[in-house]
Amino acid sequence: MDDLLADFIAETREMLEASGGELVAWEADPTDRARLDTIFRFVHTVKGNCGFFDFPRLANLSHAAEDALADCRAGRRDPDQQLVTAVLAVIDRIAAMIDAIEANEPIDDGNDDDLIAMLDVSHETSETGGLEGVKEGSNPHLHAPASTLLASNDEANAPSRRADPAAQRTIRLPVELLDRVMSGVSDMVLARNDLAHRLRQAGTQPTIDGPFERLTTILSDVRDAITRMRMQRIETLFGALPRLVRDLSTELGKQVMVDMDGGDVELDREMIETIRDPITHLIRNAIDHGIEAPSARLGQGKREIGLLAIAARQSGNTISIVISDDGRGLDEERIAAKAVATGLVTAAERTAMTRERILNLIFEPGFSTAETVSNVSGRGVGLDVVRQNLEKVGGSIRVTSQPGEGTSFTLHIPLTLSIIAGLTVEVAGHRFAIPQSYVEEIVQASSKQLDFTRMGETALVTFRGNRVPCLMLGEVLGLPACEVAAREPTLVMLRLASGDLFALAVEGIHGHGDLVVKPLAPAVMKSGFYAGSTLLDDGQPVLLLDVANIAAGARLVSDTRARVLSALEDSAAKVAVQADRAMLFTDFAGRRSAVRLELVQRIETAPASAIDRSGARPRVVIDGMILPLVGLPESPLAQSRVRLLRLSDGACELLYAVREVEDAVELTEALHPVPEDPFAEAITLIAGQPVTLVDAHELFARHGEPPIAAERPRCTLPEGEWARTILSPLVSAAGYDIVAEGEAGPNTLGILFDDVYEVAEALGRPLPQQVIRLRDQPDAPAGSGTIYRYDRESLLAALAAARKGVAA
Amino acid sequence: MIGELLVVARIAGRACALSALDVKSVIEIGTVTPIPRAPVWIAGITALRSQALTVIDCRRAIGLPESEWPTDHRAIVVAEGGHSYALLVDAIDDITTGASEAGQVPGGFGPEWSRIATGMVETMAGPALLVDLGALLAGPDAIRQEIEAVV
Repeated sequence: MDDLLADFIAETREMLEASGGELVAWEADPTDRARLDTIFRFVHTVKGNCGFFDFPRLANLSHAAEDALADCRAGRRDPDQQLVTAVLAVIDRIAAMIDAIEANEPIDDGNDDDLIAMLDVSHETSETGGLEGVKEGSNPHLHAPASTLLASNDEANAPSRRADPAAQRTIRLPVELLDRVMSGVSDMVLARNDLAHRLRQAGTQPTIDGPFERLTTILSDVRDAITRMRMQRIETLFGALPRLVRDLSTELGKQVMVDMDGGDVELDREMIETIRDPITHLIRNAIDHGIEAPSARLGQGKREIGLLAIAARQSGNTISIVISDDGRGLDEERIAAKAVATGLVTAAERTAMTRERILNLIFEPGFSTAETVSNVSGRGVGLDVVRQNLEKVGGSIRVTSQPGEGTSFTLHIPLTLSIIAGLTVEVAGHRFAIPQSYVEEIVQASSKQLDFTRMGETALVTFRGNRVPCLMLGEVLGLPACEVAAREPTLVMLRLASGDLFALAVEGIHGHGDLVVKPLAPAVMKSGFYAGSTLLDDGQPVLLLDVANIAAGARLVSDTRARVLSALEDSAAKVAVQADRAMLFTDFAGRRSAVRLELVQRIETAPASAIDRSGARPRVVIDGMILPLVGLPESPLAQSRVRLLRLSDGACELLYAVREVEDAVELTEALHPVPEDPFAEAITLIAGQPVTLVDAHELFARHGEPPIAAERPRCTLPEGEWARTILSPLVSAAGYDIVAEGEAGPNTLGILFDDVYEVAEALGRPLPQQVIRLRDQPDAPAGSGTIYRYDRESLLAALAAARKGVAA
Repeated sequence: MIGELLVVARIAGRACALSALDVKSVIEIGTVTPIPRAPVWIAGITALRSQALTVIDCRRAIGLPESEWPTDHRAIVVAEGGHSYALLVDAIDDITTGASEAGQVPGGFGPEWSRIATGMVETMAGPALLVDLGALLAGPDAIRQEIEAVV
């Protein structure tokens, strides 16, 4: 009942809002037939809806107004100004009553006879002559009752509204003004950035830096507030949905109840407009295809009335909206059959696909399972367009479904469009910005290490054992190629909202920071490569790349991707059983040495001046972290810049200064131990040349120390609710960062259930190097190597040991 | 047009007039950042305070073939559809008042010019072609697309 009532209020409100303009226009010209019809429909609907509820006053009022207006429509009387006034008064009172109903206040037993009489009075006067009526209508005396009545009504309702503790004081502002303030603040941010740039160039100036810092803080506060001003409650979108659902379900002969939650979640105004159509489309689909007819539902033992739940949640910088129904669910077989029939996947691929992946095929272009196109959903807009529109604004969509139980669509959308974190890259002398949200990782390496290959026109790189398509940004944009960059490109690994990973080869990273994104001229937008423009802190304008569109243009998304990816999963398994790899380099003593590749985090380049030799050991500051440095010669450095291998054992880090980095190599030859050199693990042959393999154990034992801002060790958890809610706090408290399976690095500790572990082992799947195996039973044979999942002591001991194990 | 203020500029050697109401300012054009893969008549973007202006090469936007024109170091800033543009022209001559309504000339102005011109207008500084800003900013492809749509 409450839901129905909420629907009624929402609908009446909506109509009141919509007819506001009509009322004014009708008042100006009472003979306007179209306006009259609109207002008649409004009172008629109110009257009809009141029938379901016990609101006699509302029913009487709307009934009287309907009668009067029906007479006008039938030509039995002329709409004069008096009638207009009376009808307006009635409508205003309906609005007041709706307010009271919504606030859960009982409608007082006030009397509406006065208003009803006014409708009738005008009826009688109009019989004596329209002209006279008009005259009397313009008489202020007749206006007075309406306004005083309304005033008294307002008084009755006002205290109750003010008493509402949740009500905030609000004002209405024109959107244009908001935009002006917004862009003013954006300009201020840019001016501040420019100033910051100049101040940096001028060096430290304590008298200026202090106030400047304060300005920065204030500005960022103001910007936050302004960003919030642009926000609108998602209610404004939700408000129209009950009506949509009602209309659709009536049209389709279904009964659907809508349950909405999270209407107070706030979202950028423009974003709300962007998601309006996708959400409407999903709701149409749910009612048309998802929810069954009442008889079918009863037959399956479900409630006759289908439930459509729409919920919005904010988590960090994204909003997730879940639209779920309790209908028949998606038919995996039919989707798969359709996908095979349309050539999206082959039959062989289909058998290898998980249910989830099959279901998500419905977002592929050219896919539509509805056999009969009804006038409700089949409107030529497919779910691919829905996904496209969401991806355009950096969002994503997933679907999950249980046969017979329902379907739910999850949309993730970013909070705002206008200020985003971004990365600035450089190619052929041009700078471009990339939204940070896409950036997974930045890789800098020689093309040999990346196993850069060209398959026809497509370039592939090997990243963490996966073959990933690689786009040359310069080529994409038709810029002249640069020799050096081709040999040693910087790869920005980009993860699209659809989950596709690809590499974008650029010549260098210029910087990162908050970017104020401004729209581009339509002619530029049409090129499809750019999403906006922004100004860097030096005032240079920079274009923001439309990553999703570029990827789509290179056909890196959708069906082609599915195939490449599945192939890659296989090759990943092969890579995992490869021989040990090491980074080959020449140290300052001129020795060719190698260090195991797992230890090498990055190759850094630091100016010689950054090396601090004042302490017992030399140190270097890199990325704000103080790190010990080994491998330096005794004599002063000849070069101005020095290459450093950044080694890490998971907890400690150190830098190894080298004269030259050669390449990553496989350790295929036998390793000969060298007992006389404590820092050498072994000597081996690489391409026929002897190479000393650095003993990392000794190195870290002597020189390793946790960096000042130490990185926490990382850990992956088994899937499932238990791991998320019960295990993860324990693991976090033990000092681990919990990461997703896909982000697991070589030093990541894996916690697995023993059965999962055994299966993986049996199938030869790649397993983390460090594993803690959990079992479900408290008792287990001795030496099983597993830990009972509620054995806290052992679990903590194992976690601590794993940390040390990495560190040792 | 009579009595209305006009900005007279030289585009591809021809005198053209823009309504001063459309013109927001005239700026010294600084560094123009080119936009790869954008239509040829878009020279790039440039910064005006915190605003990014799309720089339009009017000669190419009219659809004239590439050739050497002198380019004024100043550009005309106009706004259209919520976006701001900087127009590159040969030279900015004068600000003057219109002395006639926009009229046609026998034989027309030629297809490229006709697309972007409202008509000829007499000004205190001599006759000039009155530019239809929307048509100019739509670029030379607009007419081609229209033709394709008709075909």
